[in-house]
Amino acid sequence: MMVIPPFRLVSRFAPSIGMAALLALGGCASEAGRAGASNDLLVVGYDREPDTMNRYATHILEDIQSCVVEGLVTSDEHMNIIPVLAAEIPTIANGGVVVRRDGGMDVTWKLRPGVKWHDGTPHTSADVKFTVDAINKGDWKPESTDGFDRIASVDTPDSLTAVVHYKEVYAPYQMQFFRGTLPKHVLDGRDIDKANDYNRSPLGTGPYRIAEWKTGEYVLLEKVNDYWRGPEYPKIDRVLFRFLANTTTRVNQLKSGEVHVVALVPWDKVRELRSVPTLRLNQVLGNGYEHVTLNERRFPAFQDVRVRRALAHAIDRELIVRTILDSLVTTVDGAIQPLSWAYEPDVRKYPYDTAAANRLLEDAGWKRGPDGVRAKDNQPLAFTIITQAGFAIRENVSQAIQRQFRDVGVNASVRLVDGTSISSLWFNGDFDAMLHWWQMGADPELTLFFAADRIPPAGRNINYFADDSLTRVLYASDRTVDQAKRAELLKAAQRRVAELVPELPLYNTSKIDAVPVTLRNFKGNPTNAGPFWNVYEWEVGAGRR
Amino acid sequence: MSFAARRFAQAVPLLLIISALVFALIHAAPGGPLSLYLENPNVRPEDIERLRRAMGLDRPLGVQYLAWLGAFVRGDWGYSYADGRPVLDRMLERLPATLQLVAVATVVAVIVSIAVGILAALRRGADRATSVLAVAGLSIPVFWFGLVLQLVFSNTLGWLPSSGRTSFSGGGIADRVAHLILPVTVLAVAHAAGWSRYLRGSMRLALAQPFANAARARGVGESRIVLRHALRHALLPFATVVLLDASIMASGAVVTESVFAWPGLGSLFTEALAKRDYTVLMAFLMCASIAVVFLSFAADVAVHALDPRTREDP
Repeated sequence: MMVIPPFRLVSRFAPSIGMAALLALGGCASEAGRAGASNDLLVVGYDREPDTMNRYATHILEDIQSCVVEGLVTSDEHMNIIPVLAAEIPTIANGGVVVRRDGGMDVTWKLRPGVKWHDGTPHTSADVKFTVDAINKGDWKPESTDGFDRIASVDTPDSLTAVVHYKEVYAPYQMQFFRGTLPKHVLDGRDIDKANDYNRSPLGTGPYRIAEWKTGEYVLLEKVNDYWRGPEYPKIDRVLFRFLANTTTRVNQLKSGEVHVVALVPWDKVRELRSVPTLRLNQVLGNGYEHVTLNERRFPAFQDVRVRRALAHAIDRELIVRTILDSLVTTVDGAIQPLSWAYEPDVRKYPYDTAAANRLLEDAGWKRGPDGVRAKDNQPLAFTIITQAGFAIRENVSQAIQRQFRDVGVNASVRLVDGTSISSLWFNGDFDAMLHWWQMGADPELTLFFAADRIPPAGRNINYFADDSLTRVLYASDRTVDQAKRAELLKAAQRRVAELVPELPLYNTSKIDAVPVTLRNFKGNPTNAGPFWNVYEWEVGAGRR
Repeated sequence: MSFAARRFAQAVPLLLIISALVFALIHAAPGGPLSLYLENPNVRPEDIERLRRAMGLDRPLGVQYLAWLGAFVRGDWGYSYADGRPVLDRMLERLPATLQLVAVATVVAVIVSIAVGILAALRRGADRATSVLAVAGLSIPVFWFGLVLQLVFSNTLGWLPSSGRTSFSGGGIADRVAHLILPVTVLAVAHAAGWSRYLRGSMRLALAQPFANAARARGVGESRIVLRHALRHALLPFATVVLLDASIMASGAVVTESVFAWPGLGSLFTEALAKRDYTVLMAFLMCASIAVVFLSFAADVAVHALDPRTREDP
């Protein structure tokens, strides 16, 4: 018998020593990490670390940026465009917009008086002009020059007035300075791509400034003392954005109280968060829609409107929404969402109706074979639906659709593709059909998605769908500044799209944010303005909102 | 040429081949640094073309590779496509967190596997139990194990922080250690499982060697034989395995870091992969390859120096 005292000793005491150490350490750690939300500190679990804080250099409008840098306008929880640094929204009615005889237009922005950058320098029309000039100069890489490339020049008759001269009529002009302005006194004459002081900690006019950015871990915002809305704002002293890329980790931290707010909770995580008593799930309609894109170029059977209509009738959207999505979303019939001023509810609808679907497919010459799959000229009605891997809801929805198509003799297979790869697949048109969403811009433009000449790379018409009358209406709507007239054109376009059903609309992409029950004035946001658009008025109270 | 010099000369063409392969593979993967922009209707197709040209992504792949290689060997690792900052800066600021995690996990795994390996070599009962545990440890998926630990120790029991490197408000030494426990456990378990079996095997062999019997015959105590004679003998091959695995541990850290939001190189890599941030990916993969090549080189040279049998005949 061998006796090994040292290991005996260790093995006998190791568990208890380990446990004791764990308890001691854990005790202090959890005390520190789990204070509830308060007006001193609000902790946000954020799904990614921003690449840059320069709002013009990123394609994702970061919530952190919206707390620091303000636009001339923003878009609220109902998708209304409201003034922030602008005194009012220029329109034809208030004389802020004048369409010139030469086909161009002039937009006069009146700035809010008394607004200062965080360093005390006044925010003026010179900053507006500098922003336009910097973006159009072309020696750095702003992510989007949309609209700016149509501006000929900017005049600044006084420090609070900027007159923007467009070369042509530009209907979405209201959103032009949604991302804010660049501070001229900081960036003038510099290479903005390399201006890391600004790009990492931008000078803004918002309620918060960046106090600390710990790479890979968090960004800490602290309130500014002389915010222009008045000394009572913002109500919360510090906002901490923790970077938690893993969704399950983010949800776990929310449940354990280490983070207080998670924006855009995935739909499949909602059920487990409903039972957490300290959380409120704030839901707003989204400005996006899930749908099945039908690539007419790759799979010519989709060119027949009867086939497209049959597929639309074959999908039981109500069932999908009720079962897979827990009724968190609502079905929609088109690309412009109910929140928009251009929304047209009265379009041709395609209720779930397998009899109608079968009839349409028969009419189109697709006859059922012995295996139940329809075929025409020896070609089976069989195609592949691609969708994003790892997106649990989509994986389930695509399988439900596959099953429902099968019921009407259509053989669809599903292929899952990772998120980065899928965008290059659709951009190159290498797919038959795709289940995905478009998150629309705040402006209800449809041209990019449905005009015949807007197939990639010129646009996102990846149905490769062409209808001349629709294309004409769409371009006319882009050239119409008067909102009522533009709405008429866009409504006509929506009716035409629903008639021809180039893609199969499914449901609105609701946005659900998890916040503490004690947080007041949190309203959410359907657009890419994000839920932090009104962070200045958030306040942690004693009880429920 | 000395053995070390020859091994080193072999490493250079190997790394060149690796760099070309890795470069080709990364660029062959669908998507690119701009593909995420495609989803955003506010980014016009014209903008994407403009950015592609500005980033130099419109040049032929061979030209891009040579440009990258030339700069890389000169120590210019380029700028991240994602945030425009120098790649070297981005990696250096993440390095300490990964080194800390991997170093602590390696130490823990070595201690555990030595203790468990010796125990298993000596006791039949312990051997059975530890072999079951080792199989479990080797087969548990890292991300799953991490999430379970989070659920148990953080959500249910509330003892430990679920992720991050420090608490925002804490930051003391206890707080840092508390944050280390779960990720280190995940990382150490997988390696300790394999290493302990390895050590058990070489301990068994060593204990059956004539020198062990001779020591017993001389009346040396059993614990002294185990610790002084057999363990010392068994540690040489064990050290080689640990050295080689240390670089593999860094790859295990990629998953662990993303589950525990650990701000190290692994998280940076996952992020860069999703964004197809080519310059960061290349720098990371080249560092990993250099580490593997260098560590195996170091292990070879060490064994060569320590064990005369591996030397060539004069």
